[in-house]
Amino acid sequence: MFSKIAINNVKRSFKDYFIYFITLTFAVCIFYSFNSIEAQNSMLEMGKSTTEFMSTLNTLIAGASVFVAFILGGLIAYANNFLIKKRKRELGIYMTLGMSKGKISRILIIETILIGLISLIIGIVLGIIVSQGLSILTAKLLAVSINQYKFIISVSAVIKSALYFGIIFILVMILNQRTISKYKLIDMLNASKRNEKIKLNNPLLSIVVFFLSIAMLVGAYILILKVGLETESILFLVSIMMGIIGTLLFFFSLSNFFINIVQKNRKVYFKNLNIFVLRQVNNKINTNFLSMTVICLMIFLTITLLFTMFSFKGSYDKMIKGNTSFDGTIQLFINQEDQKVKDIKEYMDIMDFKYNDYEKQMFFNEYKLNITINDLLSEYLTKQEKKDFAENYIDGPMSTIKVSEYNSILELKGQSPITLSEEEVLVVSNYEQMNNALSIFMENEDTINIDNKIFTIKNEVPIKENIVTTGSYLNFFYLVVPDQFSGELSLYSTGFNIMFEENDPKQSEETFSNFLNEISENVEYSSIEVIGNTIELVHLRVYGSTTMIVFLGVYLGIVFLVSSAAVLALQQLSDISDSLDRYKSLKKIGVTNKLINKAILQQNLIYFMIPLSLAIIHSIVGMIVINKIFSAYNSSLIGSSSLTISLALAIIYGGYFYATYVSSKNIVRNSN
Amino acid sequence: MNNILSVEKIEKYYGNKGNITKAIDNISFKVDKGEFVGIMGPSGSGKTTLLNCISTIDTVTTGHIVINGQDITTLKAKNIEEFRRDELGFIFQDFNLLDTLTAYENIALALTIQKRKVIEIDKFIKKIAEKLEITEVLKKYPFQMSGGQKQRVASARALVTEPSLILADEPTGALDSKSSRLLLDSFEKLNKEFQSTILMVTHDAFTASYAHRILFIKDGRIFNELIRGRDTRKEFFNKIIEVVTLLGGDIGDVF
Repeated sequence: MFSKIAINNVKRSFKDYFIYFITLTFAVCIFYSFNSIEAQNSMLEMGKSTTEFMSTLNTLIAGASVFVAFILGGLIAYANNFLIKKRKRELGIYMTLGMSKGKISRILIIETILIGLISLIIGIVLGIIVSQGLSILTAKLLAVSINQYKFIISVSAVIKSALYFGIIFILVMILNQRTISKYKLIDMLNASKRNEKIKLNNPLLSIVVFFLSIAMLVGAYILILKVGLETESILFLVSIMMGIIGTLLFFFSLSNFFINIVQKNRKVYFKNLNIFVLRQVNNKINTNFLSMTVICLMIFLTITLLFTMFSFKGSYDKMIKGNTSFDGTIQLFINQEDQKVKDIKEYMDIMDFKYNDYEKQMFFNEYKLNITINDLLSEYLTKQEKKDFAENYIDGPMSTIKVSEYNSILELKGQSPITLSEEEVLVVSNYEQMNNALSIFMENEDTINIDNKIFTIKNEVPIKENIVTTGSYLNFFYLVVPDQFSGELSLYSTGFNIMFEENDPKQSEETFSNFLNEISENVEYSSIEVIGNTIELVHLRVYGSTTMIVFLGVYLGIVFLVSSAAVLALQQLSDISDSLDRYKSLKKIGVTNKLINKAILQQNLIYFMIPLSLAIIHSIVGMIVINKIFSAYNSSLIGSSSLTISLALAIIYGGYFYATYVSSKNIVRNSN
Repeated sequence: MNNILSVEKIEKYYGNKGNITKAIDNISFKVDKGEFVGIMGPSGSGKTTLLNCISTIDTVTTGHIVINGQDITTLKAKNIEEFRRDELGFIFQDFNLLDTLTAYENIALALTIQKRKVIEIDKFIKKIAEKLEITEVLKKYPFQMSGGQKQRVASARALVTEPSLILADEPTGALDSKSSRLLLDSFEKLNKEFQSTILMVTHDAFTASYAHRILFIKDGRIFNELIRGRDTRKEFFNKIIEVVTLLGGDIGDVF
C-alpha cells in the first residue's frame, strides 16, 4: 500500500522534478567517472613511474571526492528540502485521512530509496560511458599511447559511488523525518495559502547601497590588479574580502535599485507583462540574495579555476617543446675548483654504469663564455625583461658548445651536420618566447663580439632545439662556436645524451632511471652535482602536473557549475509553482499564452544571467591577474581556453536554463 | 437597442456515451447594451458552466454564443485569447489581484497587455479610480487593502479597458454586507454612466436585487425570468425571494 503510493509519487516526480533527477544522476555520473581513474591503468601503455604517478593522482582525486561529496550532499539535501516543502499539502491530506506521521515517514523513506536507486543506477551507467572518454583524455594528457582499446568498469568506483551516495541518501532520509515531525497539520494544509510578505523597499537606501557595492567591487578590482596573486599580502586578502562583500551588497540592492530605475522609464515599465516580470524577479532576488552571491562566486571560481588550469597546461606544454629530443641525458656540473671528479666518463665508471651496444651515447662539454646574456642583448632589453632575467637566474655568463660536439648531437637525433667557419657562430635558443629582445637582436645584428673577436651569426632565426633532454627549465640559450675558438672558455658541465634505440626501450628506460635514482642516493659523491633525465621522467614531471591540475580543475569545475545551475533551477521552479495563482489570474484577465511564456522566459533569463554576468566580470579581472603570472606563454591561450570554458558554461548552465524554462512552462500550462 | 450578447440554444454535456450529464440544457437569452443582468440558481444548476462558456474559458457542445457581433463558438484558440482580452472584463469572487503589484499596476496590467500607450494608461486609470473611489489606495499593495477595496480595484481592472461585456462571478461572495453594498452601488453607477453591460452570477438575493433582470436557472434550464421594471429594489428583492423559495435549496443563502 505505502510502496504503491511511493511508486506513484516517484513516477509523478519524474515529470515534475525532472531537474532533481537530472542533478542526482549527473552527480553520480561525475563522481563515478573521476573515481574510476585507477582502473584506467590497465588500458594505458605505461612505464613504472607513470603507474606510480597514476596512484598519486588517484589519491588526489579520492581526497577531492570527499570535498565534492560534501558539496553534492549539501546540494541534494537542499533540493530534497524544496521537494518536501512543495508537498506539504499532499502530506497534510494523508494526515487528515488518518495516516500517522510514522507511516508518512515510511512513504518518504521508500521514495528516497527508489529515487536514490534509480539515479544511482542510471548515473553509474552514464558514468561508465563517460569514463571511457575520460581515459582517452588521460592518455592524451600524459602523452601515453593506447595500445588496445578496452572497455573498463571500475568495481571499486561503483562501490565507492554507491557508498558515498548511500550515506547522502540516508542523511536526506533523517533530514526528512526531522522536517516532517516538526510540521503542524494546519500549516501543512494551508501551505499553498502562504502570506506573501512583501518588503517595502526604501528607494534611497537601495540606491546608496547599490553604488556602495559598485564602488567596493571596482576598488577590489583595482587593488587585485595592483597587488596580483600575492596570497600572503594583506592587500590581497583585503581585495578578496571587498570583492565578496561587494558582491553580497550588489545582489542585496540590485533588484530594488533596478526596479526604481525601470519604474522611472514608464515606456518600458508599462509594456506587456513587464510590470509583472520585474516584480516577480525583484521579489525573488530580494529573498535569495545570499544564494545569488554564493552562486555568482562559485561560477567565478569555476571560470578562474578552469582558466588557471589551461594556463598551467599551456605553459607546461611549451616548457617541454624542443626539450625532449633524446631518450635520456646525464650531466655533471663543475662547481668547485677542487672537484674530485670532473669528467662524466670517469664518474660513470666509478658508479659502475654498464653501456649497452644497442644504446647510442654522445658525449659533450658545455662551456661558459666571458660575456653574459645581458651584455649581448642589453640594447634591446626593457627594464622589466632585465628584471625577469635576474629573477629567473639567466642573466649570467652565456653557455656554449663546440660545433663538432653539436654535430654529433645532431647525428644522434638523425639530423645532418652543420659546417661552421672560424668566424661563425650559431644561436640556439627559445628566448623569443620570453621576450622580443632576441628576435630584434637577430634581425638587427649580424655579428657578436666575443673576447674582442667578431663572429658572424650564421642563422637568421634561432634554432629552437635544446641539446639535452630536460624538464627542469624552460629556457635555454647556447652559442655553437667553431672548434678552433680561441676565446676564454671555462668548463661548466660534461655529460652525454643517450638513445635507447630499437631493442627494448622500456627495459633501457627502467635501467637508466634506476641508475639515476641510485646516484641521487649515493652519499660518497654527494658533493658532485649530477643531473639526469629520461624522456619519460620529463614527460611525467611536466604532463603529470598538468594532468593533476586538469583533472582537479575539470572535476571541481563541473561540480561547482552543476551545483550552482541546479540551485538556480530549483529556486526558479519553486518560484513558478508558488506563483501559479498569479499565472492563473493573468490567464483569467485575458493574458495570452504567448505573453505568459515570454514572461516566464524573461524571468528565467534574468534569474540565470544576473549571477553569471557578474561572475564573468569578476572572472575577466581574475584572468588578467592570473595571466600576469603566465604572461610569457599565454598569447594564444586566452582565445582557446575562453572558448572551452564558454562551451562548458553553455552546455551545463545553458542546459539547466533550458530545462528550467521548459519545466516552468509545463507547470504553468498544466495548472488549468 | 443593440444586442451585446445573444445565447442561442446552447447545450453542454459532460461525460461520455453511457453516462451523460447535461450541465446546460438548451438555454437561449439575449442581453442588450447597457443592461445589468443577474443569473441565479442553486449549486449545481449550471450557472458557473454558463458563465464559463460565455467567457470563452469553456466551450459549448452545441449552439452559438454571439458577443458584440462575433460568434465565439467558431473562433480559433488564438483569436479566443485576443477576444477575451479585448472584449470581456472579468470580476471574480476571490478578486484575482496580483499580490506583488500595487493597485495601480494591477489595473495598468489590463491595459499594457492590450499594448496601449503609456499616457493613455495613466489617464484611464485615474479616471476609473475616481469613479470607483479608490484613488487613495492606488499606491497600496493588495495585502494593505480591505476586501471591499480589493474588489473595487479588481472591478476597475475589468472596466478600464471598456469591454463590451463585463462578467462578474459572485463578486460579493467574499465581502461583508457593507462592502457589498458599496461595490454594488458603484456597479449601478458605472452601469448608468458608462452604459456598461454587466452579466453577474450570484446566489445572493440582495446582490441580485441590484440587477435589471434576473434569469433563474435550475438543472441546466432557464426556470424563470424576473424583470425589475419600475419596482423599488425592496420590492424586487421580495420577488426574488419568492422565486428562490419556489426553486428550493440554497434558502439559507438568502439571509
